[in-house]
Amino acid sequence: MGADLVIVHLYPDLLRTYGDRGNVLALQRRAEWRGFRVDVVAVSRGERVPRGAGVVLLGGGTDRVQEALGPDLRDRGPELAEAVGEGTVVLGVCGGYQFLGNLYVSADGVSTEGLGLIEAETRAGKGRLVGRVGATAELWGNRFDLVGFENHGGRTTLGPGARPLARVRMGGGNNGLDGSEGAVRGSVVGTYLHGPVFPLNPQFADGILKRALSPVTGGDDLQSLDDGPEERAHEHARTLHR
Amino acid sequence: MIDAALAAVGGAAGAFSRFAHLGSGTSLPGRLVNRIDPGFLARRAASLDQGAVIVSGTNGKTTTASMLRSILQAQGLAVAANTSGANLPGGVVSAFLGARQGADVGVLEVDEGVLPSVVAEVLPRLLVLTNVFRDQLDRFPEPEGVAARLRIAAERLPADSILVANADDPLLWASLEDLGPVGFSVLAPPDGGATPRGRGGAGAPAIAADAEPESCLRCGTGLVFTRRTMAGLGSAHCEGCGWTSTIGRYVARLVSRAGLEASVLELCEELLTLPLGGIHNAYNAVAAVAVAAELGIAPHRATSALEMFHPRFGRAEELLFDDRQLWLALIKNPAGAGTVIRDVCTDRRVGAVVVAISDNDADGRDVSWIWDADFERLVQLEAPIVAGGTRAAETAVRLKYAGRIPDVVETDPLAAVRAAIISCPPDGVIAILATYTAMLDVREALVGDRSTRVEDDIA
Repeated sequence: MGADLVIVHLYPDLLRTYGDRGNVLALQRRAEWRGFRVDVVAVSRGERVPRGAGVVLLGGGTDRVQEALGPDLRDRGPELAEAVGEGTVVLGVCGGYQFLGNLYVSADGVSTEGLGLIEAETRAGKGRLVGRVGATAELWGNRFDLVGFENHGGRTTLGPGARPLARVRMGGGNNGLDGSEGAVRGSVVGTYLHGPVFPLNPQFADGILKRALSPVTGGDDLQSLDDGPEERAHEHARTLHR
Repeated sequence: MIDAALAAVGGAAGAFSRFAHLGSGTSLPGRLVNRIDPGFLARRAASLDQGAVIVSGTNGKTTTASMLRSILQAQGLAVAANTSGANLPGGVVSAFLGARQGADVGVLEVDEGVLPSVVAEVLPRLLVLTNVFRDQLDRFPEPEGVAARLRIAAERLPADSILVANADDPLLWASLEDLGPVGFSVLAPPDGGATPRGRGGAGAPAIAADAEPESCLRCGTGLVFTRRTMAGLGSAHCEGCGWTSTIGRYVARLVSRAGLEASVLELCEELLTLPLGGIHNAYNAVAAVAVAAELGIAPHRATSALEMFHPRFGRAEELLFDDRQLWLALIKNPAGAGTVIRDVCTDRRVGAVVVAISDNDADGRDVSWIWDADFERLVQLEAPIVAGGTRAAETAVRLKYAGRIPDVVETDPLAAVRAAIISCPPDGVIAILATYTAMLDVREALVGDRSTRVEDDIA
């Protein structure tokens, strides 16, 4: 109790195929290094997301796990919509991003409803989009460079109510066609990038943190950190080919 | 005659590959032979009097195959084997290049991705499957998909062939138990496993760093573990559909462990001092002994061969360089890295550590997995740490978030090892934890040879 920031890791036992734990760790440490008190709460099947969470993180899993999770996750629709209404930041990565959308259509044509937090639809495509990604992101008025690794079979198309998180200069992004990557709608953010994405892109992490901490800070800018190692890793990742 | 000529072509190509620094020199000749004569592998495998054993799975292939080779050789058998972790079709064929025609038995380590086709060609007498972990996610996006491939391979075994598998791996075992495999298990005293974490607060995220995502293969419900040896291995049951794992017919009980150097096992009622630490090596040993027993070799003969076992390639290996003792271990996924880190942290001789992470094709190009490996435990060591490999910069970030900014960040393998030597107390061991190509790079820098010279040992 009394934490400045509650980070909820949804299904950490099941949706954690691609180092998603690193995203939680990056947010937690970057808030703690600035003197904020942080609680990390694991929420799995049948458990409720606590009121007042600053960030909810939803990672990616294998198809089988995602299928099995479907009913539990869809039951969370009202709970998460309410949290978003109260200002909670929700981040979905890869499979978690697909879940945030309206609809997922599998390779054999089966449609599954998503959480509907982002106006987006995902259809299984031919082959997977796999490789390094370089992109320019724009999130809540801040532009920054984004690097990571994508590995997904789904192709995501955004509706008019969502805007892309980034434009790719290298990589497939949402669908390999329109150059968009990820999506933003209010405080809900989705991306295909792992790496994991926050440790390699501290500006992205801090953008999320600034918004999540705004009930405590009044929306003030966060104190800057010594990001030498992060910046060197980011710059190195920028030099890599697909 | 023709086979001898092909073998000669292959040998020349291998020398060229090593000279040109293309690889460890073991795959190119085989690829060439495969191109010239696609039937070569099947024909040579069929010519083995005692047939071939194929070893596959995510972790432990090389060491298990190497242990098995030692056991068979100790029985006076001539063994044809691919011994350098070169386990794609080209490397497998290399097992028969340079091997004298009179090999009695084959021990082939085969990559999971190509296993079904290699099994169909080789028609092995026995197939042993070690485990299925998350690994090289850019090649194998789903562990369940790997388990399914292993099953397809098992289904292609000739009717009188034997299937041996890890009964402690719920994903693997559930995927093929109806095929009647012979199981093996490891029993270990509890020792805490991965770095324990509280639920939030000042601690780290509320999940063990190197745990695998665990759910029932049949119904998707989360599995409940009643016994756990490492990562996703142990005894488990499903509260959804009632599926329950089993203890294998062959059991290794870990009596005591002694860090990097050795462990004492009770294996099929034989007491064995294995000159390799780590619970993963207990699995490798019980797998090798199980296979040997199924081939008709008495367990006491197999365990006495393992007492003399020396790893030939850097899954875990000791080297002397500038009069300093180096210990090299391969890390390539959270599960394996967790056991290696545990060994390093329980060995008092360790005076410096190099963590070398590279992202070439053979390593897996997505290095996200390092965030699921238990580096939180490693940084509690008081020894200095050097970040290396092609992704040294990212490795440094991982270590920073684990709790310690590394003392040196250096992509050049020789410079990284030298930095560790300088910071290490004079009598300390330098532990080098490296991905596959980072390991080849370190060996080249230190020994001057990407090759591992183990080809000389074939047959």
